[in-house]
Amino acid sequence: MPISFKEVSYTYSPKTPFAYEALKGVNVNFTEGKITAIIGSTGSGKTTLVQHLNALLLPSAGEIEVLDRKIKANIPVKDLKSLRKMVGLVFQFPEYQLFEETILKDVCFGPLNFGIEPQEAIKISKEMLRLVGLDESYDERSPLELSGGQKRKVAIAGILAINPQILVLDEPVAGLDPQSSKAMMKLFVELNRRYNKTILIVTHNMEHVLAYSDDVVVVDQGSVIRHVTKDEFFMDDDILNELKIAPPAIINVKAMLKAKGIELKGHHLDLESLTDAIVKEIW
Amino acid sequence: MDSIALGRYIPGTTLIHRLDPRIKILSMLFLLIAIFIPAGFYGYLVITIVSLLALSLAKLRIGFVFKALRPIMIMMIMLMVINVLVVKTGYVIITFLGFEIYSGAIYQTLYIFIRLVLMIVITTILTATTKPLELTLGIEDLLAPFVRFKVPAHEIAMMISIAIRFIPTLIEETQRIMKAQASRGVDLKEGKFKEKIAAILSLIVPLFVSSFQRAEDLANAMEARGYVPDAKRTRYKQLHVDTKDRIILLFVILILVGLIKIAIFI
Ligand SMILES: Nc1ncnc2c1ncn2[C@@H]1O[C@H](COP(=O)(O)OP(=O)(O)OP(=O)(O)O)[C@@H](O)[C@H]1O
Ligand SMILES: [Mg+2]
Repeated sequence: MPISFKEVSYTYSPKTPFAYEALKGVNVNFTEGKITAIIGSTGSGKTTLVQHLNALLLPSAGEIEVLDRKIKANIPVKDLKSLRKMVGLVFQFPEYQLFEETILKDVCFGPLNFGIEPQEAIKISKEMLRLVGLDESYDERSPLELSGGQKRKVAIAGILAINPQILVLDEPVAGLDPQSSKAMMKLFVELNRRYNKTILIVTHNMEHVLAYSDDVVVVDQGSVIRHVTKDEFFMDDDILNELKIAPPAIINVKAMLKAKGIELKGHHLDLESLTDAIVKEIW
Repeated sequence: MDSIALGRYIPGTTLIHRLDPRIKILSMLFLLIAIFIPAGFYGYLVITIVSLLALSLAKLRIGFVFKALRPIMIMMIMLMVINVLVVKTGYVIITFLGFEIYSGAIYQTLYIFIRLVLMIVITTILTATTKPLELTLGIEDLLAPFVRFKVPAHEIAMMISIAIRFIPTLIEETQRIMKAQASRGVDLKEGKFKEKIAAILSLIVPLFVSSFQRAEDLANAMEARGYVPDAKRTRYKQLHVDTKDRIILLFVILILVGLIKIAIFI
């Protein structure tokens, strides 16, 4: 089933002097069951794009298909709740959404809203809190007295507990320490591989794109200008140059080797295969 | 939320936009006083013409003004209903569902309606053509003479300008939290009473938390930069009154005086 945008445009504050067209005729078809990284410079429209997926924003023009649902311009969406159960969206700064007295209650909030039995909700919520790396001692603490990064983990657990089929993450690890962000990214990969969840991640971190994604979608000035696989993306120097993206370290190493006259054959996007190739080339 | 027109600044470079904010505030005050002078039908006609003139000079669309009026329509309708039911002067015009509606009630209601509309139109012209910051500078200056009576003019102005500054931020914040909670299955429109309460709480609590956080951050930032409320401060933006300001003020004062004259004669 498709997750696709057809000629989707979105204008903020339409018909006022402050009108701003943040999306301009976007066409894109996200592959189900994959991890897609959405990249693009600040203000290019990534957040606007992903907020269409669970109908937080409705297109000003065009059409969106999410699984078996269609969202069209100027037509109210029926049964929003079931759509939002299918598409879980973690916000760019999710730490602002916490409000319950205890962390456990806050994580349960989503599942309970979607009609899951209290006992079951508590069970899932505890499970998700452990998954994001918060142990039992946190369950009964107030979410308001956590650090920014811990709040973010709670917020992510709150969406995971809804158990959506499509998981949309808007810069989920920005501001987390390297260990936590690595663990978090690995968790997303695990959810994808084990439970076959479709995952869309907005990120500025090229190392993450390289290490964890399958596909790459590039947003620029309100349009999707590229949708390629990760390998194509990083093998193509032109794209990297054109987008002024500082490539990940491995790509840099390859470029340096090339400059020194050592040309490697084939694709090497992880450390192991790169070292193997270098060993082969030099010996 | 995007459609809020009441109190919104519309950028422009028209004559009205360029007037000194103090002059604009004074003119508005005089016109508001003029509305309450019982100068009868002609009085309101004069003020209406002046307002329309100012609107067209400021290049504001009538539609914008109607939008500004919309939020208070309900209040007006309530006022009118109460008036029609309570006032019993003049003669009975019609009997409606057993209620006798008097001519006095109709007049009274019309007067209230016209006054309210004019008041809103005039204040809208002020707020739509004056940057909030200029507005507070103007208020501060106009309050300056009262400082010797212990009116904290500067503090009031600072409080107003901070409040104004954070209105858009608060709206944005509210929208963001609404979206975040909607993603977690909150539905503000449907659901049982208990669910609605929970939905509103899920909005209010984060809003309060972040507002307090923001207030604290702002206070710290201000202190870190050496802000002392009652210290004497210089200003980057200097206001000055020139010929066009004087003419406008004179014009408004003439209207006020004229209306008082009319009121005395009738
Ligand atoms: N509520 C809003 N009202 C008006 N304009 C907006 C609003 N939100 C975003 N925009 C504008 O739309 C454009 C796209 O914003 P968006 O938040 O989608 O960018 P982004 O790609 O997510 O950027 P970032 O990497 O900084 O998160 C920006 O230029 C922004 O100024
Ligand atoms: Mg964003």
